[in-house]
Amino acid sequence: MNELIIIIFAPLIAGVIAWALDIKGIRELLGVAGAALPLAYLIKLYPTVDAEGMIQYTLNFAGFTLEFTLTHMSWIFAMIAGVVGLAAVLGMVSTSKNGYEWLFALMSLTGVYGIFIAYDLLGFFIFWEIMTFGSFMMVLKYNREASLKYFVLSVIGAYAMLIAIGIIYAKVGSFSFIEVYRAFSQDAALAAVGSSTLFSRGEIALIFGLFLVAFGVKAGMFPLHVWAPDAYSETNQSYTAMFSGVLSKTGVYGFILIYMLIGYRLLYEFGTIRTVPKFGYIIAFLGGLTIIVGGILAALQEDIRKLFAYSSISQLGYILVGIGVGTALSIEAAIYHAISHALFKGLFFLIVATIIYRTGKTEFKDMGGLAEKMPVTFAMAFVAILSLAGIPPMVGFASKWLIFESVISQNMPILGGMVFFGSAVGFVYLIRFTYAVWFGQRPTDLDDTKDAPLPLAIGMGILAVLNVVFGVAPGLVAQELNKIFGREVIGGTIWELNLGFGKYNGLLLTVWFVVGMLIAAIVYFMGAGVRKVPVTDTYQSGNPVTMEYNLTIRRNFFLPLKEALSFWLRMSFDRFYKDVGKTVEDFAETMRNYVYNGNVQSYAWYLAIVLLILAMWGV
Amino acid sequence: MISVYYFGAIALILIGLYAILVKKNLLKILIGLSIMETGVNLLLISIGYVSGKSAPILSEGIGPSQAVDPIPQALVLTAIVIGVATTAMALSVAILIYEKYGTLNVEEIRRLRG
Repeated sequence: MNELIIIIFAPLIAGVIAWALDIKGIRELLGVAGAALPLAYLIKLYPTVDAEGMIQYTLNFAGFTLEFTLTHMSWIFAMIAGVVGLAAVLGMVSTSKNGYEWLFALMSLTGVYGIFIAYDLLGFFIFWEIMTFGSFMMVLKYNREASLKYFVLSVIGAYAMLIAIGIIYAKVGSFSFIEVYRAFSQDAALAAVGSSTLFSRGEIALIFGLFLVAFGVKAGMFPLHVWAPDAYSETNQSYTAMFSGVLSKTGVYGFILIYMLIGYRLLYEFGTIRTVPKFGYIIAFLGGLTIIVGGILAALQEDIRKLFAYSSISQLGYILVGIGVGTALSIEAAIYHAISHALFKGLFFLIVATIIYRTGKTEFKDMGGLAEKMPVTFAMAFVAILSLAGIPPMVGFASKWLIFESVISQNMPILGGMVFFGSAVGFVYLIRFTYAVWFGQRPTDLDDTKDAPLPLAIGMGILAVLNVVFGVAPGLVAQELNKIFGREVIGGTIWELNLGFGKYNGLLLTVWFVVGMLIAAIVYFMGAGVRKVPVTDTYQSGNPVTMEYNLTIRRNFFLPLKEALSFWLRMSFDRFYKDVGKTVEDFAETMRNYVYNGNVQSYAWYLAIVLLILAMWGV
Repeated sequence: MISVYYFGAIALILIGLYAILVKKNLLKILIGLSIMETGVNLLLISIGYVSGKSAPILSEGIGPSQAVDPIPQALVLTAIVIGVATTAMALSVAILIYEKYGTLNVEEIRRLRG
């Protein structure tokens, strides 16, 4: 039995057994084992991958040949899946209700491993569908409408991918990544000397467009992001840690695949804008829009789950910007941000899961003052908030800094503006989560809230520790990422990132940070005065306000923002898709009324006309 | 020059089709159906005709080479039976419709059906 096969299928097998036995206690044990085993194997395989560059395995099944290869890049992505998947599964020990959830959560984990390790388009597609199915079933159990929206968009993406794969196979005659890459780079070389090529300009644009849709759906790219807020919020929140942290990375991985497989040809065919490839600029620009739209909508949510769902979309925009800019540095920055996004967003959703598990409430207006009651969870939330907001000694800073640097170094003002705006709006929604949930007055019904259960606390702990470790020692990740490109894209030691035109030393910053905190603590304990301020004392400026405009941080805090943006908020893609669906339905209804009208004589007319046409055609 | 048999048979089919497409009375539609069926049967028979040959019954003086094509005759025999059966069933349905709605006009029946 090959290790790669064990990594891919261990979660699925564990899930099936857990579902079949469905005994409380045993299914949790099986689930954790199923998530831990691949992680253990990945760590065990690291020296081999490091030494040989890749591990290959070929599976022959019913006449099909599936190739699996663990390269440096797929190892990194698989590790994201392993770590965040394990943390999410630990969270599920507390929050899951039955074997059904274990089966489909672990099935989607298998899909994710398969996608990252597959080395041909066929296997890639099969595991893509396994992942989609598993996650769809997880949402279906909680909310039918949200799951259908997810399903329809996923199916559109899957068909787009299937058509693209079909076109490639028809011309190249192979699914294998290596063969496809060879065919496309040969094509680029042929196009460069002006001879006839395998793929015409139109075909290559079509393939790119189809892949853009397919991966865009999964990555939650604007304007295909509409499924994500509903699907992320309407499922087991521990599972959402995996959903948002890991499953969205398959879309990111797909975008990187576009570069790997057909990048040369696209670059040659469509040229560049300044130094950025034109096709990448499309990805980057959509990523930028994703940041802005996701960020603003996150700020306007009243539900914790929705807030983080939109924030997850917004953060994925950074990754797309990084990939789109298309230099070695920006792609490395994007993968770095993919890692940190998985770490802090997984952590955030586990925190949300804890809050909902302990309080049973999901809206800001019912929360408050939980920091005293849930100190451990609050500590985790503190790490996650700092990390997402991009405050130095956390991994979120290192990755965002790299993305900023890579965008600025390519002189892209519009993208730079979008990225900076996203960071600002990140604070806008995080301050709300920080204050409304953890501080302020506590509603009396939350007075006996307990802290996180042990498995959830362990899951959060794993992610929080990694957030801090990779933040203090950012070079740990950067040096691993350098191996993908085989050269030193990001220089420096494990404590320091050095781009040549900018440096970031995580350890130094941490030391100063700690010193600053110590000084602040000394000042505080020397006798700084503490004064209690009522919560309703926010910006009312002494004027009495009516009840519906009484904006507290728990309720309608960003109402003025919402009113200012009301014109733009009316343009909702969610509504647009609904209208499209409605139009199709109306058209079908009209057809039913006028064509299938129930009158036998009209059917006889159709028959006679068709026969006449056939007779004239000479059939 | 098209044979008069073909012309007559196809004319019957078209007359029947006309009644089915245009007439509003259910019974007239059924009559049209019957006429169409007759036309079809006649067309089938006339296809199998070989001029100057006699009925395909093996008997004295008539061998396989002197008979007309027997297959359309067998087909038509079947088709007649089917036609009669469908007509009988359609008529019984017409009776039921009249009992239920009190009219045989197809348009009105559709409206009444609601």
